Amino acid sequence: MRPYHLIPVLPALALIIMPFLPFVNTSELWFGLPRMLVWGGISCALLTPALYLTERAMTRSRGGEDAS
Amino acid sequence: MNTVLVFAIVGIVLIGVLGFLGRRKPVRDLSEWTVGGRRYGAYTMWFLQAGEIFTTFTFLGLAGLAFSNGAAVFYSLPYLPVAYCVVFFVARRVWTLGKTRGYLTQGDFLTDRFDSKLLGTLSAIIGVVFVLPYLQLQITGLGLIVKLLTGNAASATLSMVIGCVFLIAFVLWTGLRGVAVTSYFKDAIMLIVLVVLVIAIPLHFAGGISGIFHRVQQLHPAMLTVHAGSHDTTWFITNMFVSALGVGFICLPHNWPSIFAARSPKALRRNYIFLPLYELTILIPMVIGFAAILVLLPKTNPNGILLSLSQNTLPTWVTGLVVVAGTATAMVPAAGIIIAISSLVARNIARVRNERGQFWINHGTVVAAVGLSLLLGIFLPNALANLLLLTYTGLVQLAPANILGMLNRKLVGKWPVIAGMVLGLAVVIVFTFPFPTAFGTFDVGIIGLGVNIVAVALGALIERLLGAAPAQRTEDAVTA
Repeated sequence: MRPYHLIPVLPALALIIMPFLPFVNTSELWFGLPRMLVWGGISCALLTPALYLTERAMTRSRGGEDAS
Repeated sequence: MNTVLVFAIVGIVLIGVLGFLGRRKPVRDLSEWTVGGRRYGAYTMWFLQAGEIFTTFTFLGLAGLAFSNGAAVFYSLPYLPVAYCVVFFVARRVWTLGKTRGYLTQGDFLTDRFDSKLLGTLSAIIGVVFVLPYLQLQITGLGLIVKLLTGNAASATLSMVIGCVFLIAFVLWTGLRGVAVTSYFKDAIMLIVLVVLVIAIPLHFAGGISGIFHRVQQLHPAMLTVHAGSHDTTWFITNMFVSALGVGFICLPHNWPSIFAARSPKALRRNYIFLPLYELTILIPMVIGFAAILVLLPKTNPNGILLSLSQNTLPTWVTGLVVVAGTATAMVPAAGIIIAISSLVARNIARVRNERGQFWINHGTVVAAVGLSLLLGIFLPNALANLLLLTYTGLVQLAPANILGMLNRKLVGKWPVIAGMVLGLAVVIVFTFPFPTAFGTFDVGIIGLGVNIVAVALGALIERLLGAAPAQRTEDAVTA
């Protein structure tokens, strides 16, 4: 396990725990949308840059051995 | 002939023709047919794997789940992105093993990794039995779309029959290549239709998307939260985990060919980076489900609400496009599932040695699986409904075997893995059918997985105590 393996853990955890967060699992809205939708959507979108950073770190550590 | 039926038939024929365009000549080699010669780049892989997201369940079922259970529908938002995080890390290993050892199926992988034909065959039978209802779901979904919009059962049957004929024909001709080509069309029309729906329906009924949620907040605030009941937080988290583990550890047989088809592990990882962004599109049917809460009677058939709202809001020809998109969400995933079923039967269940025999058993299975699903869809549409409950909870029982198979070291032999798989499956079946309420809303797939893991661990311990530690894998120096 390398440190870069942990980068996507944060947004993934944010997604998993969303029904247990009282300020997310509520009938209140953010920007006119359900808070679960906004929280889940943002966490989901953040996984892309997180995985991208991990990919870059993995490629560097392997010396770019995987051809595209 | 009804306009909707015309659009449905045009959609089916179009998908069939596009499928045929995948190849000039029919494929004669099972490897080429199943995994496309292992040479798909990032672009093709994108459509192949993104295409797996939108099935008839995503298109019709998520809108229905939002309509009947409100915020509980958001359980389906995390599971695929979380699964992509897992498979992002394991795909390289699986792809490398597949390429160096010539795997085409999950059964090939387990047979080789545990040196056990029995384990490979057992996993293949589990894969076929639990994914067959998923195939039938796509075919009945196709009929359901036509039936809901025309109100005519005969039109639904006709569309299912024509759909199955074209499905068999293009899958036999092109194999996985046809799935990739039809996926381009499917994703394009899906995105167009979803954008139209998410603008038109909220605008028509509540002046916009935020209008919908403000009115739901006033009239049905509980629908915006995961609350006590049949779809509570326990249901949410355990269902999400079972689904994420199932996809993340590649327990669904139709996820294997698309991994082996990649030209390189980098092409796969690039996909898994961007698929979470694409996953955001599944929010659109959910928004439409919330709109339906305001407009339709609570006892409306949840599966039909997206189609009902589009019929009430849009001109007939736009509803026709929705039908074409719905048809695509049924036929394209069905094609991928058929490839997985037939290759499992040919490679891991029938186990014919010569390649020609394997090829013909594969093709015969395509016809038999689609034919059986069609007959059940027409005459006994609910026959496999119970098995559908086990698709994820049952298939996730393959996760320990897959994980142990991916490791460099062979930590445990075949018998503990087989015992764990069988016991896990038995637990899931017992607590799904005879005692469905024993664990409340807790997903029994997790309970089964717990028993499965304990059985594997105890088996490994017994192996060590008996001095029967498994022989190490000889190829790992090459494939690690």
